Amino acid sequence: MASESTLLDPSIFEYLKDNLEEESRIRETLTQIIQRLERSVASAQALLSRVHSTPRSRYPTLVAQVETAIQEQVSVIGELNELASQHPYYKYNSKWARAIQNAISSAIVCAWLGGLPSVGTPSLGRLLTLEEIGAVFKVPTHLKDRDAFHITLEEYLLSLTDVTHELSRLATNAVTMGDFELPLTISAFIKDLFAGFQLLNLKNDILRKRADAVKYDVKRVEDVVYDLSLRGLIKRAGEGDTEMKSE
Amino acid sequence: MSGVKRDRDGNARVKPAPQDGPRGRFHDMFEGFRDELDEHHDRRERIIKASRDVTALSKKIVKHLGKGIPPGTQKDVDSKLEDIAKLLTSVAPDLQSLNRYRYSYSLRCLEEFVEALSFLHYLRHQTLISKGEVDAAMPADISLTPHDYLYGVFDLFGEMMRFATVTTAQMGELVGNEAGRNILSDIHELSCAYEMLPEIPTKDYRGKMEVMRQSVQKVEKLGYGIVVRGSERPKGWIPDMKDDAPAPTSP
Repeated sequence: MASESTLLDPSIFEYLKDNLEEESRIRETLTQIIQRLERSVASAQALLSRVHSTPRSRYPTLVAQVETAIQEQVSVIGELNELASQHPYYKYNSKWARAIQNAISSAIVCAWLGGLPSVGTPSLGRLLTLEEIGAVFKVPTHLKDRDAFHITLEEYLLSLTDVTHELSRLATNAVTMGDFELPLTISAFIKDLFAGFQLLNLKNDILRKRADAVKYDVKRVEDVVYDLSLRGLIKRAGEGDTEMKSE
Repeated sequence: MSGVKRDRDGNARVKPAPQDGPRGRFHDMFEGFRDELDEHHDRRERIIKASRDVTALSKKIVKHLGKGIPPGTQKDVDSKLEDIAKLLTSVAPDLQSLNRYRYSYSLRCLEEFVEALSFLHYLRHQTLISKGEVDAAMPADISLTPHDYLYGVFDLFGEMMRFATVTTAQMGELVGNEAGRNILSDIHELSCAYEMLPEIPTKDYRGKMEVMRQSVQKVEKLGYGIVVRGSERPKGWIPDMKDDAPAPTSP
């Protein structure tokens, strides 16, 4: 092409090449951090799964172990925060969204079981708010005015649907271990969450799909409570003097 | 469970009558979430609508340009560019800071817009518009990502191919200048530049590369046809491409 004019200014494709190479470097580094986060989340979840065979009296021991695992997540998420905040948040967030959701749900379940005293007042059956989750992981939540790493509202809501699933399973297993009170706490908790989800105007997306599934968790726990009530295994309010006697 | 129905504009929704009776423990919290999600959905719908219109206008510009740039076309193109400017300006506040990448997928019109701009630029100057020039031509306060640029220029291949086909049929030779450059050498140069980029491992990218190669081959066939049968062919004849392998469609 011997001509004074050329089609391409070479700097155009140099720019694109540099850009693509930088992007793939960032993705690689992110992948490494996220893999460590996934491993750490998996170990917290593995510990938490023991709750299904742990009597309530031993929750504190179990919860303490989970707290240690969560601390590990906190440090990995700190690294992720540092790297991801240098880039547009939504450019890469799909890479870590799932891992972060699992981290959130492990923290919520841990706090529900009475753990994480550093944030809020520990008690059985409490719900960590989105802000409290941010405090646990030491990252901002639901950012609107600046572009940096944070935990999104959607991630929190999706995690809640994992929590209701986990707790509905716990209701059954608590009964097996002779704990007839816990299903009542769980039932009230999940019902309140379900009522909350019903307030949302959901679009036809993943959140709707997952929120729709919460009703099955409600039902599972209701069935457990029904079984217990039918057999007189739970104390009713005002029970005692007014209890129906068959004789 | 179902949310409250909303109309197509996404704003006029019937508020449920305030319910009496006990409010759940998390009622207030979820009400806050609902407002945030509504805001997000409304914003996204505004962007999708504007994006759809910008896409349509960009395609119309490209269609006009297929005829070259007589003055009438120029006026048409200008008025369409103005419409695009209005549409993009209307959603610019929704796309600041964090939200630029959040709604990237809903804002795919920018690729089409870049395609139109790059084609226009090529016809006028016979050069590839640079990222900086596209940035300067952005009519609204919306940042253009390298991705928008890269994918927009991908679509330029299809337009060059169509333009080459039509002009060859009309003039009996490949359009070009006195300096020896013609549309075939240009499309070759551009495709080589793309081939040399590091590969992006997405299906989307591979698909675009494939379509690009097909466009290049079609222009190569035109050049071949002129050399081999140049003197025999009557005006208005175009190489028969029906015997091509599985006829690819370009974007």
